[in-house]
Order: sequence, then C-alpha cells, then structure tokens
Amino acid sequence: MNSLSVMPSARLLPSVWKLIRLRLLLNWNAFKHAKTGRKIGTIALVILALVFTGFTFFLSWLLLGFLRSAKLIQYVGFDVGPFLQTVPVLVFALLFVGIMFSSFGVLLQALYLSGDMDFLLSSPVPIRAVFVTKLLQAVLPGFGLAALFGLPVLYGLGLTGNYSIVYYPLVLLTMVALTLAAAGISAFLVMLAARLFPPRRVAEVLGFLTATLSILCSQSGNLYNSLGRDVTISGSQVNGAFALLMRFNTPWNPLNWAGSGLVDLGEGHWLAGLGLVALTLGLSALAFSFALATAERWYYSGWAGMQVVAYKKKSARSVRAQTVTAQPVPDIANLAGPQMSRVLPAPVRAILQKDFLLLRRDIRNLSQLVTPLIFGIFYTFIFLRPGGSIFPDSPDTPAIFSSMARFISSYGNIGMSLFVGWMLLSRLAGMAFSSEGKNYWMLKASPVKATHLLTAKFLMAYLPTLALGVIFMVAVSILQKASLAIFLYGLLATTLCQAGMSGILLAFGVAGANFNWTDPRRMNAGVIGCLGQALTALFLPIAFGFFIGPLLLMTIMNWPQVYGYLAGAVAGVAVSATAALLPPWLARKRVDRLNEN
Amino acid sequence: MANSATLIETQALFKRYGDKLAVNNVSFEVQAGEVFGFLGPNGAGKTTTIKMIVGLLQPTSGTIRVAGYDVQTQPLLAKAASGYVPDTPNLYAKLTGRELLRFVGDLYSLDRQRLAQRTEELLRVLDLNEAADQTIDSYSHGMQQKTSLAAALMHDPKVLVLDEPTVGLDPKSARLIKDILRQMAERGTAVFLSTHILEIAERMCDRIGIIDKGALVAVGTMNELRALGKAGETSLEDIFLGLTGGAEAAEISEILR
Repeated sequence: MNSLSVMPSARLLPSVWKLIRLRLLLNWNAFKHAKTGRKIGTIALVILALVFTGFTFFLSWLLLGFLRSAKLIQYVGFDVGPFLQTVPVLVFALLFVGIMFSSFGVLLQALYLSGDMDFLLSSPVPIRAVFVTKLLQAVLPGFGLAALFGLPVLYGLGLTGNYSIVYYPLVLLTMVALTLAAAGISAFLVMLAARLFPPRRVAEVLGFLTATLSILCSQSGNLYNSLGRDVTISGSQVNGAFALLMRFNTPWNPLNWAGSGLVDLGEGHWLAGLGLVALTLGLSALAFSFALATAERWYYSGWAGMQVVAYKKKSARSVRAQTVTAQPVPDIANLAGPQMSRVLPAPVRAILQKDFLLLRRDIRNLSQLVTPLIFGIFYTFIFLRPGGSIFPDSPDTPAIFSSMARFISSYGNIGMSLFVGWMLLSRLAGMAFSSEGKNYWMLKASPVKATHLLTAKFLMAYLPTLALGVIFMVAVSILQKASLAIFLYGLLATTLCQAGMSGILLAFGVAGANFNWTDPRRMNAGVIGCLGQALTALFLPIAFGFFIGPLLLMTIMNWPQVYGYLAGAVAGVAVSATAALLPPWLARKRVDRLNEN
Repeated sequence: MANSATLIETQALFKRYGDKLAVNNVSFEVQAGEVFGFLGPNGAGKTTTIKMIVGLLQPTSGTIRVAGYDVQTQPLLAKAASGYVPDTPNLYAKLTGRELLRFVGDLYSLDRQRLAQRTEELLRVLDLNEAADQTIDSYSHGMQQKTSLAAALMHDPKVLVLDEPTVGLDPKSARLIKDILRQMAERGTAVFLSTHILEIAERMCDRIGIIDKGALVAVGTMNELRALGKAGETSLEDIFLGLTGGAEAAEISEILR
C-alpha cells in the first residue's frame, strides 16, 4: 500500500467545514480577480447593507417606542401593546414560510443541477456533508435578507419593551434554527420532486411559474385600481386588520411558538417562554435531522438516477416519436408559401426555423417572454373595459381639449401595442445573438453571410412581435369601433416603429453579445445591450411622434386629416426604415468577428 | 484554386492574446487525400491553430488557405469547403439529431433531395438512427460527438478538421470514426486532426506535425520524425517527449513512492 493512502473522514462537521472553506476560497478568488469596478460595487453593497441595518434598527426603535408611549394610548384610545407582542410571531412565521418556499428553486439548482456535483460526489466526503453544505449555501441569501429586515425590528422591540437579556441571543438562535428547519423541509420536497420528475424539467417549470406569478402579482394592483375598487383605508379597517393579526396568534399554531416564547422570555414569564422556545428548537432539530436522514437515502440515489432518467424516459417515448417524426420536419418557408422560399435564402430560413423551434421547446425562454405578454393582456383589458376611457368627456371641457383627448384615445392603443412590442423586442432582438450561447461556433464555422445572419435574427425578433402587435390592433380596433383609416394607419405605424426598434436593438445586441452562459435566464447583452434598450425607449416616442404629430396638428388646426396622414406616413416611414436598416448594416462587420475573445 | 493538391496551407501564422504568443510562426501544408496529425502538449496552441483554419479566430498575422481560398479574404468559400468537429460538442440541445443535420444542410444550401438522402446516410452509418428523433440533450457524450461528426460531413467537405475527435468515445465508436476518416482521405479529402492519443496518430496519419509553446517543432512522416529524434527513439511517444520535454521519471517515482 502506498504511503499516501488515507482513510476518508466520516465525521460530518469537519467535512462540512472543508466544503464551506472551499466555497469561501472560491468567493474570495472571484472577488480578488474581479474588475476594479465590480470590487468597488461589492464593497459599496456591503457598506450599504450595514447602513440599512442600522437605519432599520433606529427607525423601528423610534417607531416601536412611539407605539408604546402612554400619550399615544391616551390619544387613540386603545393599547397597541398586544399587537406589538404579535410582531415576533409574524416575523418568525414569515421567515419560516418564506424560506421554505423561496429555497425550493435554489435548493433544486444547488442540490441537483450545479456543475460541481460530479466532483463532490466522487470525493471521499460524506454525502450528508455535501447535502448540508449545499443547503447552507442555498439558504444563506434568504437568511441574510430575513436578518436584514427582521433582526432590527425584533431587537428594537426588545429594547423598547425592556426585555430580558436572554431574549437577544435567543432571537438569533431561533432564527437560525427555523431557517434550517424550513430549508430541511424544502430540501425534502426537492428530493421528493426529483424522484418523481426530472429535476431540470422541474426547474424549468418552476422558473416559468415564478415569472408568471411575479408579474401577475405586480400587475394585480393596477387591475384592481382600474376596476374602480375603493382602496382607501378606514379606521375600522385598521382595527379589523389588527384584530385579524391578533387572531393569528393562537397557541395551537406551531409557527407561533417561537415568537410567543421569545416574548414570554423577554417579559420574564420564564416557564412558558422556555417551554415554547425549547419546543421550537426541538422541533426544528427534528425537522432538520429528518431531512438529513432522508438525504442519506434519497439524495445520492436521486442524483445518480438523474444521470440516466432523461434518456430512459425518452427511449420509451421514442418508439412513438419515431413514427410521428419520421415524416419530414415542416419547413417554415413552405408553410408561408413557395414565394418565401424564393425570397429568403436557405441559411436564413434554416436559422429562423431553428430559432423558432428552440424558443418553443425550451420553457426557460418562455419564462422571459411571459412578462411582456401578461403586461400586454392586462393593459389591453384595462384599456378595453367598459368605461375605460383615459380621458372621460365632460360638458365643461373646452372643444380643443375634447378633440385632443379623443385623438389620444384613438391612437393610445397603438402606443400601448408599441410599448408591449418594445418589451418583447428587448428580449428577442436584444439577445438575438447572445441566445446562440456556446453553439455559436456552428453558425460561425458555416458559410453564412453576416447579412443573412442579421436578416434571420431580425426576422426572428420582428415577426412574433409584429404578429402580437397586429392581433392587439385588430382586437382593439374592433372593440373600439375604430375607423378603417385609423386602423390602417395604426397598422403602418406599428409595423414600421417595431421594425425600427428591432434594427436598433439587434445592432446593440451584436455589440454586446455574450455567448458564455448555460441558463437562458442568465444570458444578457451587457451594458451595451442596456444602452440599446435605453435608446429604443427614446426612439419609440420619437418615431411614433413622427407618425401622429402631423395628424395631431391637423386635428388642432381643424384642417383635412388626409394631409396629416400623408405627412405622418412620409416622416414616420423615413425615420423607422432608417432605424431598421442602418444600425444592422453598421453592425455587419462586427458579426464576422463575434466570439473571438 | 492556387494548387489543386494542397488543401490546407498556413504561412507564417501568428496569434497573440495580449502579451501571450499562442501561435508562433506556424507554416505547413496538408495535401488532398492526406491524414495530417497535429500533436502537442496541453496549451501548445493546437486548438487556436485549428480555430484559425476553420475561421473561428482571426490570426494576428499570416495567411491560411483552405481548398485554395484565403480564409480571411474569402471566408465563405473557405468555410463551404471545410467541415469542423470541435473538441467539445456544443450542439443545440433542444433540437433532435435529425433536425440538427437538416439545419446544417440548409446552412450549406444543400438541395432538399440531397439533404434528405445525406441525413439518412449519415444517421445510419454513424449508428444514430434510433436516437435521431430525440433531442440532443438526451444524448451521451459519444452520441453528441458522432452527431457533431455527422454535421461536419453533411456537405461532403474537401477539408475535414477535427479537434480531438476520439476523446470520450468507446472503442467501437472510436474505430468507426477512424474508419470514416481513412475512407474520407482515400476519396481525396484532406483530414487534419489533433489528438493526444499517439497510437492513433502513429497508425492513422500520413504525416504528423508537433507543436510546442506555439511553434511547430517538427513536421513529417513517421520515418522523417524518427530521423529527427535521438538514436533509439523509434516510437512516436519517445519522439514526442524528446521534442516537447517529457516528464522527469525520477520525480514521478518520488511522488508515487
């Protein structure tokens, strides 16, 4: 036996420490070798977080002190003390639920889809140590965020309520314990999901659902307001909310034990406090131990199974797929008619067809497109709802303002269509080249002209956006009973403004192309890509202004509209066509040198 | 074409990354029907040279001609004449093997009938028929490597450039690829391949170039290389280690003791 042979350490904590040390070393190296700007940014962020913590602590100390003051009780007529005792209950319950749900996706990525798993699982390190390290790594950002907001509030509460000294360390300890318990339960759910479905697919679907829910939640307020719901808050509603929160604080809910126990300890009710806190810590330890024990059985087998599951499942399906897909793949050019086949060169058609297939098949791409789509649907609904006019007519309104308001209402839908188009194009045109990723060598090594490549990428971004814009325009025009002239002119403006935006965003996307990513959600076109977005945000009102400016002038001056249409069309077409063609033409030389750094 | 027999020609090729000279004055020729092995230690400049030949990188100076076309001034003609298999088969993961081949055929503007015929031929020859309608993300490394080779062969190139084509392949697939390369050469294709497996280079290649620290230190047939080496260096391994600096035996035995 050679002298270097060693027995691997089976002890958990030293192994966890080794892996954490490795992570710290990686982070330190990343910081050390980062550009100066990034280093300064990181340091500034840390300082900002510390300042924010101090500020939150100071603010909550002042606010809680004020809420506890006798004068306030005398003034408002009721004691908010019982409600303040509910604050720790709420903080700990939110921490637990928040960590449990938010860490599911992060844990799925960390436990099953990270690139270092081959190395870690083939090293002589206990599987539980790998599991614990990955779990800590995954929940640390969530815990940091919770501590940033929660600790100042809880400590402020303790100071203003003259709580016992044991309250403060136990707050931190309970926070850590609940975080680990929530993460443990989340990890158990992740392991369960990974046994039932391919983890990569779960991550894709989860990303899509998260993106959809986020944008739905963010827009629901606007929809609620637009429906004319009363959002003013009355005093009785505040009292009702307090009562509801206090009802939440029941002794039967285990999520409340941590907060209630800590308040009892702080106020000197030692027996009840110690009992509840010990129960919380015990249950947390139990949940974490359960996750750890499950990991020993499920984690490795799940991860190992993942290496073959995709192929096995596809093999079973392939027998059916064989008969279905043995027929020729439909050609996008043939679908659009033989003329398109003649107009578009074969490489352009090939790239278009490939991009459409990839966009449709990879659900991670759809996660990025869902924002503009939901945004468009929401605002179309708001715009089209009964009585949804932006400028309601009033008998007192001067005639000139009334005609202007009607004009803006008529053309506002085009503006909305263009805005949704801008959001969609920022992804489709701005990332058209970046989206190739590490596969770009296939295009670069092929005899494809830069102009053909730019044409394909332009069409790939432009066609879906145009289709969406046309559907939007048709729907709005029918519902608003718009005149044919307004509809056709709006269509012309939409078609050309979107083409202009596509051209600008595509050119900036070429300049900032980044092919070094593995997850489409992480692709970006860097600072130059952002500059393109900013520029198109400026271009859009200008180009649209060229289209409708002359019309507005004719409306105000009460002159024949036909001159406005003619002048607007000439100016708008000139500006938009220049924006559509010139930037990609200028970027064509750069396409030849892409991905050479 | 400048010379119908010479299909790859590099002259005084330099590639610099900042202060680092990755390729230093490399000149060689590969003839039609020849299998040329390109050897060198890790980081010697093999992949950089290959990427310049297939037009993925622009040389700092020097010229490259592929099938008689200057890669810098006539890139489309040069690329149309060559096929490339990279060391890592990064392929569109969400396309099926059949869709990928069709896509590549369209990039090279193959007509419909030829494309369909060529796709079926290559899928069959490379034993990819069963998986042809599954997306590439379900393929093993070997299957991806074979798909990458199929894509490179779609347009029946005059020049085939391969960067370590047998890495990660099982013996059967490796043998299949070697047979295909040999047959391509017999049909007049210039095959340029880099490899770390000296046995492959020794048995397959008509001529071998050895690159070290960016410079070409030897080019020739096995016999010519033997003549360059010291007395007693008859195997390619000995010649390679002699030219590029081998591992110190004493140090290895000290570490492994």
